[in-house]
Amino acid sequence: MRIAAYGLSALALTAAMAGTVASTAAAQETLVINSFGGAYEDAHRELVIEPFEEMYDVDLQVVTAYSADMLSQLRAQAGNPQFDVAHFSGGQEVIAAEEGLLEPISRDELEYADELYDFAVEGLDNGVGPVYSVAAVGMLYNTEALETAPASWQDLWNDDYAGHIVLTDISNTYGLLGLLMINQVHGGDLDNIQPGLDAVSELLDRSVIVRSSPEIQQNFAQNDAWIAPYAQDYGHTLREAGLPIDFVQPEEGSPAVFITANVVAGRENTDLAKKFVDFSLRAEAQIGWAEALRYSPTNRTAELPEELAAQVLYGEEAMANLVTFDPQVVNDRRSEWTDMWNRMITQ
Amino acid sequence: MSATSGRQSRREAILLITPGVALLIGGFLFPAFQILAMAFVPATEDAGIWSNFARFFVDGYYLGVTERTLRLSVIITAITVVLGFPIAYIIARSGPRLRLVLLIMTILPLMTSVVIRTFGWVIVLSRGGPLTDILHAAGLVERNFALLYTETGIVLAMVQVLLPFMAITTLGAISAIDTRIEEAARTMGCSFWRSLWHVVLPLSIPGIVSGSLLVFALSISSFVTPSLVGGVRLPVLAWSIYQQATSTLDWHFAAAQSVFLLLLVMAIIIPYLALMRRKNG
Repeated sequence: MRIAAYGLSALALTAAMAGTVASTAAAQETLVINSFGGAYEDAHRELVIEPFEEMYDVDLQVVTAYSADMLSQLRAQAGNPQFDVAHFSGGQEVIAAEEGLLEPISRDELEYADELYDFAVEGLDNGVGPVYSVAAVGMLYNTEALETAPASWQDLWNDDYAGHIVLTDISNTYGLLGLLMINQVHGGDLDNIQPGLDAVSELLDRSVIVRSSPEIQQNFAQNDAWIAPYAQDYGHTLREAGLPIDFVQPEEGSPAVFITANVVAGRENTDLAKKFVDFSLRAEAQIGWAEALRYSPTNRTAELPEELAAQVLYGEEAMANLVTFDPQVVNDRRSEWTDMWNRMITQ
Repeated sequence: MSATSGRQSRREAILLITPGVALLIGGFLFPAFQILAMAFVPATEDAGIWSNFARFFVDGYYLGVTERTLRLSVIITAITVVLGFPIAYIIARSGPRLRLVLLIMTILPLMTSVVIRTFGWVIVLSRGGPLTDILHAAGLVERNFALLYTETGIVLAMVQVLLPFMAITTLGAISAIDTRIEEAARTMGCSFWRSLWHVVLPLSIPGIVSGSLLVFALSISSFVTPSLVGGVRLPVLAWSIYQQATSTLDWHFAAAQSVFLLLLVMAIIIPYLALMRRKNG
């Protein structure tokens, strides 16, 4: 009698366990994605990742990997990819697509594609994902140190700013775009960046060159920096840190950084991954990006409150005035340019 | 009977060593050989297998980076020897309680991440930092002066980061010296400084040698401190490798530079060790 009871309960237990395992397996699909860490990742979780998890009952694993690292990882894992969705902010999606690392997305697979500005979905034809945010590079300046806001890229050569200029290394996407813009302002183009390099070499003795965003903050906070060509979103980060920093778009225009969401090729869950990419394009999420980090929306239905709209590039006209550099050419030449740049700056 | 137990203990030893060896082969030797192989894969099809190495020597740029890396490592090592020896001697010869306190003070910095310690140095060395303020107040430097982004700054920060390794390794050697030898020297009329120079220092050479090899190897391959304190305009080899691997994505050239760095370290360490062995044996 007792033995029978044990047998029964053991049976029930096994059944219960089997049931649990089966139900979790059915309900919890997993997507592995990258994000860019820090405040970006916090906003990413709040605006896209967590709502998506709730809506589709999936488990999203977020790995912190910046664009260049992400591309390195995708390449290293080419035979056996470990990510479902890859976010890039430095044009790396173009290389990744060309190397067959990305799964093409067609326009009708994205519910929100029609709401986006044309430039945001143009890449789909070449196998890259849509642009869900834009960061523009302009001038960050210390409002307490400078009486008037800089108006032009040429203002960097203002003698009054000597010793208080922060430039960013070419290994940083914003630094690269700043150099290309300086080059364009000085009469160069993508076939010839020598005018840009020459112009920067005049600044070497009166500036410091940093690699990363935190170093810019550190220079504004401790190293008496006044002006730095950098991104609109980082101006907000500096203000949040209590520094008297404003962002201006110089009259010659601002190079744009496109932040894209891409589906990795060769994974089982590509349909779900596409849904995730689509979910990133919602106007609601894009307004959230502008609020949290001052990125510009690419969804034309995203309406920003007036105060916020003044702090970011916003609207059809502003978007049309963004300066972009052919990512294919930039990617092809980047190594050569890095070499030229390193030789120019090294003491 | 004894043969069986001998075989059995050998089998146990093999069993015990297997996980470690497997980890070493899979996690270190295999990737290391992959990098070695990658260095010989030419970037373009018509280039030879040495092309990645040739690129290193075509002009002065990478040799300049190598020269800076080597020079800084030698300076850092020399300073840690000079500072590490007295620290080690004082710790070795102090009473048990003081000894414990000093030991903890020496080792404690190692408990903090090198990144955190480096950021500390960045603040100290920057324009608004305390060190600059002191130098400026003393009338030694201009207001715009900063040690941040200078080679002096790199050396200062690296010495602080690596000093514990030197002190602890030298301490081992000094502790092994019989204090009666020192006492004998003193009773024979040797002054404190002469006994330190003629007795303690020669006997602690093995510790100083292994300490300086450790510090040299760590500083020649160090990456975080030189790149944060020195900045982009003072590149060292490890940074150059990192940049090729992650920014320009030229893994083959990065691999060639890694192999070159390894050869450089071995070219210095192997003769050094051989010389020491001959001297001691």
